Amino acid sequence: MSDTTFMGVPRDKIPWFPTIDYDKCNYCMECDTFCPHRVFERREGDRKLVVANPNHCVVFCRACSKTCGPDALSFPNKTEILALIKQIRAEESAK
Amino acid sequence: MTHAILSCNGLDKPEGSVAREVAIRAAAATGSEIICPVLLHRAPARYKKALSENAVIVVDGCSTRCASKLAESLDIKVDRKVLVSDVLKSSGIALEPTLNLGPNGVGLAQAVVDGLLQSLNASSEPAPSAVSSVVFAPPTEHLVVTHDKFEFRIPVADYMFNENDVWVRAVDDVARVGISDYMQQSLTDINFFDAPKTDAVVDQFGELGSLESAKAVFEIIAPASGTVVAVNAEVVANPGLINEDPYGKGWLVEMKLTNWPEDRELLLKPEAYAKTVKHKAEEA
Repeated sequence: MSDTTFMGVPRDKIPWFPTIDYDKCNYCMECDTFCPHRVFERREGDRKLVVANPNHCVVFCRACSKTCGPDALSFPNKTEILALIKQIRAEESAK
Repeated sequence: MTHAILSCNGLDKPEGSVAREVAIRAAAATGSEIICPVLLHRAPARYKKALSENAVIVVDGCSTRCASKLAESLDIKVDRKVLVSDVLKSSGIALEPTLNLGPNGVGLAQAVVDGLLQSLNASSEPAPSAVSSVVFAPPTEHLVVTHDKFEFRIPVADYMFNENDVWVRAVDDVARVGISDYMQQSLTDINFFDAPKTDAVVDQFGELGSLESAKAVFEIIAPASGTVVAVNAEVVANPGLINEDPYGKGWLVEMKLTNWPEDRELLLKPEAYAKTVKHKAEEA
């Protein structure tokens, strides 16, 4: 999905995806079970869950964090991401 | 109206302990019956009368939402919900990291109870309808996106969409907002609408409440900036209307728009949204 766009902006230029706080994560896998976009992947080893496909994450969606009991998932600031998207759109239209 | 309170049992996290305390205090303040989640799970008949005669309040401790999921699994109609971890985040309170409540935990519990009682008192008084006088005629013509055995309808009239599957329909500076047919089918049966407060000021792509189904919690991402002026009370009482008629009777809120000329530049017209839906359906 990295070749897709969001509001006309290449998805890989938009840093919107979850960050896992491994001090809080209890590897219940609720987020991975919930997310239909395969953002997460389960692994062997200490970190049994990783954000493997950040560009699969739907921009502005934070639904996985609402399944997270230990509150281990965080997202960037929406206002800053929206400003970035508008800036890229303006730069593209000025070309 | 009397209530029954179904709460987290409070034995896993401090937020759960707060939820349990909220249930005890709220029950004492309102004369409500407490529903033990463990006993409800083991012997639902024990609470059949209480659940059928009372409006049900669910108090979850954390986002695992065990109490909510239990209610869903037993088809219990929920009147309102409280999520302690959400209140904790907005309160700035530092919760003690133990299951025995400390002063901060007790303070948080009382704050949650106060908010709950305030909300119960407010809803017991008839509120004047704030729904606009603008006529939003039902759509008569749709684009149809087909994927496998599914058909997703998209009205061709004056609806615009964000890429988060939320539509907006504006007439001058008033707009209705709802979710698309694609999203309501993705969520399956919607059983709870956590509505934003009227008078809430929301930025474009901010949060306009959430929807819950057995499958997921869906954050309603605002398609435009503005102030919430009305919530669809029929949908709050019967969220299934969203599944039945997402573009008509299943509308969610009305907003007074504050930046529509600029906001609409970041929205999709029906034809473009149809392509997005096609892509999403293929990727899902």
